[in-house]
Amino acid sequence: MKENKKDNQQKGTIHPLSLLAEEAYQAFADMGFEIATGPEMESEWYNFDVLNIPANHPARDMQDTFWIKDPKSGEKTPKDRKVLRTHTTGVTAWATEQAAKNGRIPSAFVSVGKVFRNEATDATHEMQFFQIDGSVLGKVEDGFSLAHMKGILTNFYKKMLGDDIEIEFRPSFFPFTEPSIEVFAKFKGRWLEMMGGGMTNPAVIRNIGLDPEKVQGFCFGGGLDRIAMIKWGVPDVRLFYQGDLRLNQL
Amino acid sequence: MKISYNWLKWYVPEAPEAEKLADILTYHLAEVESVEKLEDGDSVFDIKILPNRAHDLLSHQGMAREIASLLNIKYIDPTPKYKIPESKPTKLIKTIETPNCRRYMGRVVRNIKVDPSPEWVVKHLKSIGQRSINNIVDATNLTMFDCGQPAHVFDLKKVKDLKLQVRQAKNGEKITILGGAEKILNDTMMIIADDYGNALDIAGIKGGAYAELDTDTTDIILECANFDPTSVRKTAQALNIQTDAKKRFENDLSPELDWFGMLELSSLILEMCPDAVFEDIVDVYPKKQEIHKLSFSTERISNILGLDVSVGEIKDILKRYNIEYTESSGVFEIIVPPMRFDLVIKEDIAEEIVRIIGYDKIKGNIPKINFQPKLNETYAKIVWARNKLMNDGYSEVMTSSFRNSGEVEVLASASDKNFLRVNLADGLMESYKLNKANASLLGVSEVKIFEIGTIFKKDREEMRVAYNAGGKTTEIKLEDFCKDMPKDFTLESGSWNPEAKFKMWSLFPFIARDVAVWVPENVKSSDVEKVIKENAGDMVVRGPELFDEFKKDGKISYAFRIVFQSYEKTLTDAEVNEIMGKISKKIIGNVGWQVR
Repeated sequence: MKENKKDNQQKGTIHPLSLLAEEAYQAFADMGFEIATGPEMESEWYNFDVLNIPANHPARDMQDTFWIKDPKSGEKTPKDRKVLRTHTTGVTAWATEQAAKNGRIPSAFVSVGKVFRNEATDATHEMQFFQIDGSVLGKVEDGFSLAHMKGILTNFYKKMLGDDIEIEFRPSFFPFTEPSIEVFAKFKGRWLEMMGGGMTNPAVIRNIGLDPEKVQGFCFGGGLDRIAMIKWGVPDVRLFYQGDLRLNQL
Repeated sequence: MKISYNWLKWYVPEAPEAEKLADILTYHLAEVESVEKLEDGDSVFDIKILPNRAHDLLSHQGMAREIASLLNIKYIDPTPKYKIPESKPTKLIKTIETPNCRRYMGRVVRNIKVDPSPEWVVKHLKSIGQRSINNIVDATNLTMFDCGQPAHVFDLKKVKDLKLQVRQAKNGEKITILGGAEKILNDTMMIIADDYGNALDIAGIKGGAYAELDTDTTDIILECANFDPTSVRKTAQALNIQTDAKKRFENDLSPELDWFGMLELSSLILEMCPDAVFEDIVDVYPKKQEIHKLSFSTERISNILGLDVSVGEIKDILKRYNIEYTESSGVFEIIVPPMRFDLVIKEDIAEEIVRIIGYDKIKGNIPKINFQPKLNETYAKIVWARNKLMNDGYSEVMTSSFRNSGEVEVLASASDKNFLRVNLADGLMESYKLNKANASLLGVSEVKIFEIGTIFKKDREEMRVAYNAGGKTTEIKLEDFCKDMPKDFTLESGSWNPEAKFKMWSLFPFIARDVAVWVPENVKSSDVEKVIKENAGDMVVRGPELFDEFKKDGKISYAFRIVFQSYEKTLTDAEVNEIMGKISKKIIGNVGWQVR
């Protein structure tokens, strides 16, 4: 797909995050995942409510959200009110919902996409960045478990960062998962926070029209830019979005 | 949240030393972000208490109970040691006139003296970054940081007829809060007021100046209450007030905690003011917190975790956490402790078990998923478009989705760019200019770039492809760009260089120079290149690159470009001239070589 020959002056160069996204998708495709994509301007419902993050709940403070200015927003429901998506978790949730409606259970989706956070920028924070998200859902008898999530993510990070990588889970909280964990990877002797995830919260399963007594699964998500920065030693996340071709070294 | 190690040790004297404890907490409870050593030998943890445990862990006693259960060590319950004052009948009347107050507890205390706090109180508060104010206010703060229950004290002489009510504010009602700011309230906000229309306190958030204690205060009313989390959160947001009390209430506290708060507060005041006269506690608690039961099977917990958990292990954990249970053939029914609002569904129990026994016990394995993935058409188009453009010599860039103007605006951006882009072309043109200026650094004669991304129109978003060659941009919809995409296009697996590394470029300006050399026809360009390289020094970031060659009269001309740049400073023309001079000198030192 990409030969990306530096010696061939004729061929253009790829953006490092596209290269990483292609590799990430491949790693998940090899484990049986389907790619999901979705809009960057998301409904409040899919960005928050469906994921068990109700209005006026402190959990909404965990993400600084860009709300779309709309004089009529007060009259609208969460399904019509728009935000710039703060994660791609809503994309995999939507894809899982659609698959289930078509009788596709078990299902496994992965999505890489641009997300937005309303925060001051610095070397490690940007208003836009890429997130990779995944969701696996099956019948209770399929037994998709935290151990499976660990297996999948260990394999993924080995593909991304090398075979000598180690993965560990630490306690965390997300409204859309229970149990919730933080994924850490040991890269060159240091433990680095890579991702959040856990077993899909029964409330989310109900919100996408399924019965949590019959199905269970897990979902996870984290920054793609961060993997790129760690992997290649890119010192500043803002470099990815400046349109500077000096970035395309990889 | 800040937790003092020495304070914790009152309740868990067998706790491991600070660094070790921090490590255990990070792996079994919540991240300890820092451990600060204080001069007096104490260590202070900054712990990122997770939102689902903010009901019961935003306090030293809460943390101590958790540590005792987690490590199966002794917990020393302070409650039996509290000084219980003798109590007299009271005339205090408290009423709840809003559904947003779940419990309201008060107590009159007379004959107190507002004084500086004893040394140990000052030290405790200081260790967690709190300033000592006076003995009475400190007692309320100490109660909150110790047992988790926010408390408040009113000056009794300001409370007419000893009547206090919790009610919704009136629209336009005003209150001057502690510190002096005036806030205008509305009927979504809950306050504590007297019967004469004086607002005394924004419930659960901040006290008012009207009934503030002063040095002459002798009689006070203690308050421990419980308020609806959403109401407190909305009010605090609307009034833009952040307090430690608000943080606790918005996370939903158990009304059962009020009792412990009042007990501890009374005991502290008695200790600081031994002559104080206490009256009976007035407790308005219209609807007692319900007892919740929760049922789960060992089998399902194991299924969720992917880890075989035994009945014995679960029993052991429940015992350590003082959770009452019954069990039959692996199915448990538990009575959820009143403070543990986080335990609602069996998945909560699964989390509780795995964090206690350790996430490292879970061994990863990749499942076989019986699922037939389909091709994602949008992504296939993106990849096809990208490959096509790259094959045509275009390089990929990404630019900001935010612009100064557009059709869709975001609210309250942290930057000055509040609009979403309506096209890719504008960003791409800026990128073109940047890269054009760097063309010699990039080693290209013509800058050719592209971006694939989303643009935002008034009522929709759209995926676009834009490409720019030599400053001229073409921008079309992704689907139009891909109309020649083969029907059978599939994503192929790529290969990348696992050893690749990024090298940050210098932020100083570069200088590009050309040198053209006449040499006899039998001299190869690599011979000339070698001479240039050997004499160009260590500031060369690109080249020498041969960009022109031609023959004439038995001689051949080679033209090279060299780009100089320092990582430490701005290079001057003089510095580069000197290097070029050195190169020229070396070149003409060869017989038949000459610099054009």
